[in-house]
Amino acid sequence: MKVLLEEEVLTDNNLSAKFNRDLFQTSKTLVINLMSSPGAGKTTLLEKTVAALGEEFRIGVIEGDLATEKDADRIRALGAKAVQINTNGGCHLDARMVAKVLPEFDFEEIDLLFIENVGNLVCPSGYDLGQHHKVAVLSVPEGNDKIPKYPVMFRRTEMVILNKVDLLPYLDFDVQMAIEDLKGINPESKLLQVSARTEDGLDEWFAWIRAAYKQIEAQ
Amino acid sequence: MHEMALMGDILQLVERDAASREINQIEKIELVVGDLSNALPDALEMAFTVFRARGIGRLSSNAQLIILKEHAKAKCTVCAHEYEPEARLTICPECQLPSGRLIAGETFKVQSYEGS
Ligand SMILES: Nc1nc2c(ncn2[C@@H]2O[C@H](COP(=O)(O)OP(=O)(O)O)[C@@H](O)[C@H]2O)c(=O)[nH]1
Ligand SMILES: [Mg+2]
Ligand SMILES: [Zn+2]
Repeated sequence: MKVLLEEEVLTDNNLSAKFNRDLFQTSKTLVINLMSSPGAGKTTLLEKTVAALGEEFRIGVIEGDLATEKDADRIRALGAKAVQINTNGGCHLDARMVAKVLPEFDFEEIDLLFIENVGNLVCPSGYDLGQHHKVAVLSVPEGNDKIPKYPVMFRRTEMVILNKVDLLPYLDFDVQMAIEDLKGINPESKLLQVSARTEDGLDEWFAWIRAAYKQIEAQ
Repeated sequence: MHEMALMGDILQLVERDAASREINQIEKIELVVGDLSNALPDALEMAFTVFRARGIGRLSSNAQLIILKEHAKAKCTVCAHEYEPEARLTICPECQLPSGRLIAGETFKVQSYEGS
C-alpha cells in the first residue's frame, strides 16, 4: 500500500514554534533570534545591549551552546535573567528546546527576550523558534565571502549586524561589497555596521530594538 | 550535521501515520529535498541506514529511501524571466536587478511511503 503523505519534515518543530509564538504574542514580549558563526560577537553584543537598555526594558536571554554555562554567566553578571541551553553536540536550537526552558521566565516580567543561537551559519537558519525577528551577526575578520557562501542564512534573516568594524583598518573586508552581496541574496535585508567593543553604531541597533518593541506593544 | 535528527523526525512522522493505518512494515519512503533546503541527501541516506540497522519502529530491514531532488528556481518580478539561481540568488541574469524571487528549491517533505 502506498500512502501519499506530502508532509513538511519540520512539522514537529513548527508546532513547538507556534506554541512559543503564541506565548510571546500574548505576553507582548519582543523576541529576537541572533545567529552567527562562533566568535562573531553575539554575546558581547548582548552584554552591551543589556548594559545600555537594562533600565528601559526588562530583558531575558536564552543562550544556546554545545556545552558550558559561560555565556549565560556573562549575561547574569550584568543582572539580567539568563538561561543556558546545552545542546550536547546539537548544531542549532530548535523550537522544542526553547519551549522547554520558557517556564523559567516570568513572561509578565519580561519585555525583551534574546535568543543567542548555537554558533553556526548553516543549521540554525532552518529552525523557526517562534521569534519575531531573525538577525544575523557577521564579523569583519570572517571575510567577505561568507554572505555568498551561506546564502540561506542571509536570505532568512531580516538584518545583518556587521560587527568588529573597529578592525576594518587592519583587514581587507570590503563593506560596500558586503552590502552588494546582501542585496543580491536578500534585497529586503539591511546591513548595520557596529563595533560591540568600541560601541560604534550600537545606537542604531538600540533604535531598531525600540522600534520593534513598539510594534509588538501596539498589536 | 543535523541529518540524524531530521531522519528521526521523518521516521516519527511516517511511523505515526503508519500506526493510524495499521501498516506494520514500512518498505519504502520517498522524500523531496530541495537544493536550498539545508538538508544533505547523502547524509540523509547515511542516517537512514543507521536507523534501519537499529531496527527502529516499523521500518523493515530492507526498507528503501528514495530522494527526489528539487532544483532551485527563481523568477524575476520585473521581467518574469525564470532561471536557476546561483550564489547571488536574486540577481536576474536577464535584467541584472535584484528582483528575483525563489519559487522552488526550499522544499523538504515526505512525499509518500509504502508498506503493508
Ligand atoms: N575587536 C573586536 N572584538 C570583538 C568585538 N565584539 C566581540 N569581540 C571579541 O570577539 C570574541 C568573541 O566574542 P563573543 O561575544 O564571545 O562571540 P560569540 O561566540 O558570537 O558569542 C571575544 O574575544 C570578544 O571580545 C568587536 O566589536 N571588536
Ligand atoms: Mg556566545
Ligand atoms: Zn529580470
